[in-house]
Amino acid sequence: MTVAALTLDGLGVAFAGFKAVDGVSIIIEEGELRVVLGANGAGKTTLMDLISGKTRNTSGRVFLYDTDITHWQEHQIARAGIGRKFQIPSVFRELSVRRNLEVASFETPGVFSNLSLRQTAASKRRVEEALELTGLGPQADRLAGGLSHGQTQWLELGMLITQNPKILLLDEPTAGMTQAETHKTTEILNALRGKHTIIVVEHDMAFVREVARRITVMHLGQVLAEGDIKTIEKDERVKQAYLGSKGIM
Amino acid sequence: MQATKLRLNLAVYLIFIACILLAPMFLEEFALNRLAKFLVFGMLGVAIALSWGYAGILNLGQGLFFGLGAYMLGMSLKLASPTSMAQGSDTPVPDFMLWNAEPGSKTDLCCINGGSWLWIPFQSHWFGILMGMALPTLVAFGLGTVVFRKRIAGVFVSVITLACVLLVRLLIVDAQPLTNGWNGLTDLGVLTIGETEFDPYSATTYYLVAISLSVTLILGRLLTETRSGMILQAIRDDYNRARYLGFEVSSFQVFFFCASALIAGYAGMLYVIVAEFASPSFMELSFSITMVVWAAVGGRGSLIGACIGALLINVIETSVSETPALVEAWKVIIGLIFVLVVLFMPQGIAGLASSVTDRALERFSGRAARLRQADSQHQPAE
Repeated sequence: MTVAALTLDGLGVAFAGFKAVDGVSIIIEEGELRVVLGANGAGKTTLMDLISGKTRNTSGRVFLYDTDITHWQEHQIARAGIGRKFQIPSVFRELSVRRNLEVASFETPGVFSNLSLRQTAASKRRVEEALELTGLGPQADRLAGGLSHGQTQWLELGMLITQNPKILLLDEPTAGMTQAETHKTTEILNALRGKHTIIVVEHDMAFVREVARRITVMHLGQVLAEGDIKTIEKDERVKQAYLGSKGIM
Repeated sequence: MQATKLRLNLAVYLIFIACILLAPMFLEEFALNRLAKFLVFGMLGVAIALSWGYAGILNLGQGLFFGLGAYMLGMSLKLASPTSMAQGSDTPVPDFMLWNAEPGSKTDLCCINGGSWLWIPFQSHWFGILMGMALPTLVAFGLGTVVFRKRIAGVFVSVITLACVLLVRLLIVDAQPLTNGWNGLTDLGVLTIGETEFDPYSATTYYLVAISLSVTLILGRLLTETRSGMILQAIRDDYNRARYLGFEVSSFQVFFFCASALIAGYAGMLYVIVAEFASPSFMELSFSITMVVWAAVGGRGSLIGACIGALLINVIETSVSETPALVEAWKVIIGLIFVLVVLFMPQGIAGLASSVTDRALERFSGRAARLRQADSQHQPAE
C-alpha cells in the first residue's frame, strides 16, 4: 500500500483578488518523483511558495504525511522535512563549499542550542556523503561564490540532501545548465529517487522525459491534467494550453 | 592549508595580546593612559566587526551602546567624587543637581529634583557596573527583537540604529537636571573595587583595559567558531537560504546584535574609567561613523583586524594632531582613507594580510610538492 507523503487540499492564494493558485488538490506518494509543468504564470513557483511557507495561503490545507503544516513558519516547515531549492540558486557565497554543507547539516534551529564548537559525527558523515553525491569534493575548500552556475545548483542540492528531507521541492534545477550539466543533474536526481519524495518544476523537456513518471500540468493557477507522460502528451487541453500542437519535444 | 592558516591566525592573536600586555614596561604614565583609550576604541572595533562583518548588520548607532555603558558607570563615579559629598548633605549629591534643584527641595537624591531618585542605587559601584552591561544589552535586545522579527534588513537597519542614537542623545541632553545635559558627567571619582583603586594613570587601570580587550578578542573569536557563528555568517550571505534550511534567523541576529552591544557598553565603562568623563558627544553621529571607518580600514571580516584598524587610525590621528596645519585637514584625510579602502581594499588590512598569506602558503606548498616529486624521482637512481 502506498502512503501519501504530501497532500494539498484545495490550496489557494489570492493577491488583491487575483487568484495565483486556485483550489489545487494534489496527492504525492512517498518516494514519488513528480514533475509540475506549466506555462509562465501558471502558478508553479507560487505553489512551491505555499508549500514551503514563503507565501501564506488564503484557502485550503497542506499535510506532510498526517501532520497539518498549514501556516507553519518557514523554518518549522523545513525542520518538519520539506527542503526547498530556489529557482535562482542561492548558496552562502562567502563561505567555502564544505562550510555551506556543514551549516546545512546542523540539526537544531536556534542560536543557543548551536553555541558549541563541536559537530556531531552524523552531521560530518552527511557532509561527506553530499560532497560525494554532487561530485564537489575537489572544490570543497573553495568559496561558494567562485563556483560555476551548474556547480552552484549542485551545491544547493547537496545542502538540502545533508538535511535528509522527506520531501524535496526543486524549482527549475536545470535552468541555465549546459547539456552535460543537465545530464549530471538527472543522474543526481535518479540517485535520490525512492529515498526522497521529489517535486520538480521544470521546463526542459529533455530533462522531463528522462526523469518523469508522473506529471501534473498547471494552467492559470489550477491543475489542468495529471498522469504519465503519454497521457499528458495526448491530452487535448494540455496541447492547447502549453505544449502547442507538436507535443513534448 | 586551512589548518596552517588557523594556526597563523592564532599566532597573530597571541602576539597582539602579548604586545599590549607588555606595553607598560616601555611606556610612561601619560602614554599608557593614551594607549588605554586606544585599546577601548579597539574594543569598539571588535564590536563593529562582530555585527557588521559577521552578521551583516551595519549599525550606524553603536555609540548608543557605548554611551549607555559610559553613563551608567559615570553616574556611580560621579557620586564617588569628593564634590558630591561637599554639597551640604550627609549623602552624596552631584553638584549639577543643586544648580538645577527644584525650589525648596531637600538636598538629597530622594527628592532634589524630579527623577533624581533614579541615582540612589548608583551609590554602589557594583550596581553601576552591572547596569553598564545590562542596559546596553537590554536596549539592543528590545531594538533587535522588533527589527529582526519584522525581517528588516540592510540599509534600513542602519537608518533605524542611526535614528535611535540621535534620539537618545537628544533625551540625555534634554534631561539637564538628571544628566547635566550638554556638559555630561565630569569631575568623577575613582572607581574602587574592594581595596583596588583604578586611577586612570595607573598600570592597574591599563591592565584592566588590556586584559578586558584580550578576553573580548578570545571570546569573540571563539563565538564566531561555534556552529552559531557559522550559521550567522550563512545568514549574512543569504538569510532566505538559511531560513529555508530551518534556522530561526532572527534569533541569531538578535543574539549577536546583543553581544555586539554588550562589548560596546563594556567599552563605554572602560572609557569612563580611563578618560574620567561621560558626555553626549559619545552619541554623536560622527563618532558612530568613525567606529565604522576603523572597522572598514582594519577589516570588518576579522575581529582583530578591526581592532588593529582602530588602534592604527588613532595613533595616526594623534601624531597628526601635533602638526597644527594637519589638524583641520584630518577629517578630509580620514574620509579619503575610507573611500580608498572601500574602493581598493574592501576587506581592509586583515583581508590584504589574508590574501598575501594565501598566496605565500600556496607557493610554499607548491614548492614542497615539487621537492617531494623530485625526491621520489631521484630515489630509484640511488
